[in-house]
Amino acid sequence: MNLLQNTSEDIRKSILAKWHENLSKYGNLFSSDSVSGSTPPSVFIGSYNYPKVFVGPMVPPIHGDTHILDSPEKWTGKTLEEIVNFRLNLIRGVQKVSIHDVEGRYVENLQEITMSSKSIDSDLEFHKIPAPAVSLDGQSAPFGPVGEIKNVKFSGSSSTAPIEKIFYDRDLKSQDAVMSLYNSGIDISKIQRCFSMGMLGQKRRLVPTKWSITATDDIISKHLTDEILNYPVIDSCRVFSYAHLGNLFSVVLFPHRWVYEMIEAWYSHGILGFGSDSEDARGIGHRPAIAGAYFAAKLGVVEYLSRKKIQSGVVILREILPEYAIPVGVWQVREGIRHAMSISPSFAENFDHALDLATKPMNVGKLEWLSRGKIIRMLKQKTISDYF
Amino acid sequence: MTFEAKIGNAEDLKTIISSISTLVEEANFVATSEGITFRGMDPSHVALIDISWPNTAFERYECDSENNFGVRIEEFSKIVKRAEKKDGIEISISEQNQMLITIGKNRKYKIRLIESSATETPLPKITFDSKITLSSSKLQKMLGDVQVISDYLTIRTDGSKAYFSGKGDSGEVEVGVEETKVHSTPRTKPTDKAPTEEKPELPPPDKADGGQIKVRTGETDVEDDSIEIYSKEDSTGAYSLEYLNPVVKAVGNSGGKITCEFSSAKPLRVEFKVANMGRIHFYLAPRVES
Repeated sequence: MNLLQNTSEDIRKSILAKWHENLSKYGNLFSSDSVSGSTPPSVFIGSYNYPKVFVGPMVPPIHGDTHILDSPEKWTGKTLEEIVNFRLNLIRGVQKVSIHDVEGRYVENLQEITMSSKSIDSDLEFHKIPAPAVSLDGQSAPFGPVGEIKNVKFSGSSSTAPIEKIFYDRDLKSQDAVMSLYNSGIDISKIQRCFSMGMLGQKRRLVPTKWSITATDDIISKHLTDEILNYPVIDSCRVFSYAHLGNLFSVVLFPHRWVYEMIEAWYSHGILGFGSDSEDARGIGHRPAIAGAYFAAKLGVVEYLSRKKIQSGVVILREILPEYAIPVGVWQVREGIRHAMSISPSFAENFDHALDLATKPMNVGKLEWLSRGKIIRMLKQKTISDYF
Repeated sequence: MTFEAKIGNAEDLKTIISSISTLVEEANFVATSEGITFRGMDPSHVALIDISWPNTAFERYECDSENNFGVRIEEFSKIVKRAEKKDGIEISISEQNQMLITIGKNRKYKIRLIESSATETPLPKITFDSKITLSSSKLQKMLGDVQVISDYLTIRTDGSKAYFSGKGDSGEVEVGVEETKVHSTPRTKPTDKAPTEEKPELPPPDKADGGQIKVRTGETDVEDDSIEIYSKEDSTGAYSLEYLNPVVKAVGNSGGKITCEFSSAKPLRVEFKVANMGRIHFYLAPRVES
């Protein structure tokens, strides 16, 4: 087990060492009190000091199409190191703003770049040289140095039509606005930034990025769950598996009215830790212990059910290996599950067999998983429709 | 299209609405010349409520064709709660897809109806081996006794005795009850046939057009402590208190006798009598060890 722990630390150290090497090589790009580059577009709101939060754009010292730097939907297949390097290029400019203050000039500028369909040339001037730091909160993607903004200039934004329409519609509830954007094919990461920047709904306010990620996944997955409750229940078990970035995912669909459990296992100082949350068709009704991963994974699987117009019970297992040395954000759970659901499934004879298939690629055994979750207990509850 | 119903006692309507509110947020009612019915399941399909409210239970009832109307239970409930016990409540449906609610003589509300979904819910095909009839206060007391230990209630019948029990992390509980009543008349037996075969238990309307005026004559059952237990075959069933408690609380306060019918590892049916003539059937799927 010690070996596993070392792996994790080694990877983290090696990635960060390379990053520091980078910093010293291109030090001139970062060690100035200003930065000129194209924001992907990207904005970030911290939760520190809430409700007076630190808000600002993220800008890399590169000009051109930087879209990829803040588009997790396009990162599947990249290595942990590639992703971290993308992100650490982003310098985060901040100003302290009250969450209620969504009409100031600074915030309006940020809303405008959030709406943009392409990268925007940006010039940030800082009060002092941004400290070379790495920020990891587990929910959001990491980013690099942070500096307090003295002056900011953006040029050449071009707005995305569906977002512009929603932005000026002050009668639309924020949940309906999120769904409208989702249904017009806007990426989740972009919807989440609009949500965060207080651009949706009737009562508008700024929402810290990590909360807005969870809220967006929750709103969309809840809406899709309501939809699939009307679809027929599948008649056999399906198992989907996928691994990326040191995360092993297995999804089991089984014949049942909508119930959902996600169980996570991780290695902490050589010891296995577990967490789980679950719901039935009445919803979860409390904050999940496994936080944003719960909604992100749920979104990936209900998208599949909604696309296929079917309903099922769902168990998602996520084993987090020590190789996942740097948390890159819950987007990787969403995209991991989406990817798993795009591969053709294995069919199982029954629930037990399905769990055998699901746990086969994992180090944690079936019985261990089941004892950490509630699904077996939940399935003891029959439904009235079992007796029709 | 005419639909107008006057409820003499606001409490009856409050009871019916609060029983529905324990399961769903939106409810579709069906009004015919014979009365008003509601049938729906909670989102997880664990429980089902089947309500039958015959025209005879209303002070005045007029309905010349079948009317479906959907309401958001919370909105409807807020308004009905404004009525005091002695207030009458009149409801009707307007052409503009609105429900008009008049409390007493001159407090008038209009609420927007919601699109009623057309899915028809069947009743479970089950027969009942055991039947327990008891006062609502006695049932509430026993459920409370079990809930301090367990989230689930196990009911077991043994001849003329019944046991309400539960197990939890902290321990176990069992509450026994015995039949108390001396019977001079034959006891009512559990329903033998599947309820789906039942016709709605609505008395025939006096007139074909259903436009008669009815006056309520009966009073609600006098609360007594008698317990009736009938077991064709001794049965054991386990049911979630998370579902059972709220509905018993919601309807129980209106007093009256409650009948629980079940068979081993099959759904439980709880019957509440409301407004003397109307009834609420609450079906709850069992928890089954497998």
